[in-house]
Amino acid sequence: MNLFEFSYGIIHWLVDLVNNLWYWLGDVLPWVFGDFFDAVGDFAASHGHIAVMAMLVEALIIIIIGLVNVLNFIWIDRKFMIITPAKVDRMGFLLAPVIFVGSSIAAMCTIPMGFEFYVGTNDTPYSSYPLPGGPEYPGVPASALVAFALFAIAPFAILTAGWSSNNKYTLIGGLRSAAQMMSYEIPMLLCVASVVLLAGSFSFFGIVEAQHDIWFAIPLFLGFIVFLTCLVAEVEIQPFDLPEAEAELVEGWTTEYGGARFGLFMMTGYLRGYIGGALAVAMFLGGWHGPAIIPDPIWFLIKAYIVFVVIEWMRWSVPRVRVDQILNIGWKRLLPLAMLNLLIAAILRTLEVF
Amino acid sequence: MTWELFVFLFLAASALISAFFVVDSKEIVHSVIALATCFISIACMFVMLSAEFVAIVQILVYVGAVVVVILFGIMLTKREIMESGKR
Repeated sequence: MNLFEFSYGIIHWLVDLVNNLWYWLGDVLPWVFGDFFDAVGDFAASHGHIAVMAMLVEALIIIIIGLVNVLNFIWIDRKFMIITPAKVDRMGFLLAPVIFVGSSIAAMCTIPMGFEFYVGTNDTPYSSYPLPGGPEYPGVPASALVAFALFAIAPFAILTAGWSSNNKYTLIGGLRSAAQMMSYEIPMLLCVASVVLLAGSFSFFGIVEAQHDIWFAIPLFLGFIVFLTCLVAEVEIQPFDLPEAEAELVEGWTTEYGGARFGLFMMTGYLRGYIGGALAVAMFLGGWHGPAIIPDPIWFLIKAYIVFVVIEWMRWSVPRVRVDQILNIGWKRLLPLAMLNLLIAAILRTLEVF
Repeated sequence: MTWELFVFLFLAASALISAFFVVDSKEIVHSVIALATCFISIACMFVMLSAEFVAIVQILVYVGAVVVVILFGIMLTKREIMESGKR
């Protein structure tokens, strides 16, 4: 017996109970409305009415179970966990999780998972930049740029959190995070520029459509590797997790946070891992293209999760790099490779391979 | 009152108030947070003027540059928050 049948039974029992009284009232007071009592009683006992009420009761039970859990967690959190240290800067301390979570979720919303599966404000298609009069796509205008713009707000939140926690370890973590994210953003955006050059569109729809015949990871293999490395550095996963190096800084820039606020940071860290996977899939691994047995959004999710698992796999198999090495890798290795990749993309575009 | 006017008034008020806080606040990082709010409000106004590309570049360039402003703010100012017992 499932929940619906259970609530159907309860409603049926209640209706029978009330209808006994109701028909008895109709017998006692026949002169008031005539057939009114019978009609209402028959409607109440009909299958459709009972089914609708049973669905409402089912939803109510589910919502109540959820709300009781939420109340329990809120109570536990407020009772034991939420600690705002006395000497923190309250404005930055309370604002940083909001900025971090909000910008990351907004970045996730701009990534479509298929031609019928995207977040958009209306049905008016936007023209795809940079070509005016080119093909028009729905959803967010220039969605690839929007995703990277929102993805790039995170160091602001991290630096605010690190500064306002009023603790030297959090400040060092925040500064490291700012240096790392800003220096790895440049090769990452250069790889995105090469993809946009080949696809001729700033929209994820256009980029994925251009990969119908061949994934961009094959002609731009170098760019794919550089992009993946920069992605790992952007989402602060193990080989590049200097901002929260447990052995050096206590817990990095999240040291002073506890309870639900730390939970938000932790959740958003993994959410950014997924966003990174989704970006890599949409940019290089053909998006939602695949054999038609599986629907498009499922293909997209499968590929994104595979990239996410590869990133996590790196986390537990590679040691952490040092803080001087990280800037050397970023500026002396990845930046020239990204420029080389842009050159390859320009040559492919000039030879009209794409 | 159309909703466009309402949203415009909200964004304008947000931009003006946060611009005031940039000048007014004592703490330099508070100024920078207010500056980022101001930039984001202006980017939303660009979206309302159907200039989406300018809005995106506004977020990408200016809000990204705010981090550098914070870095300079931390680097070039005296840090009294660590010592003072008021906060």
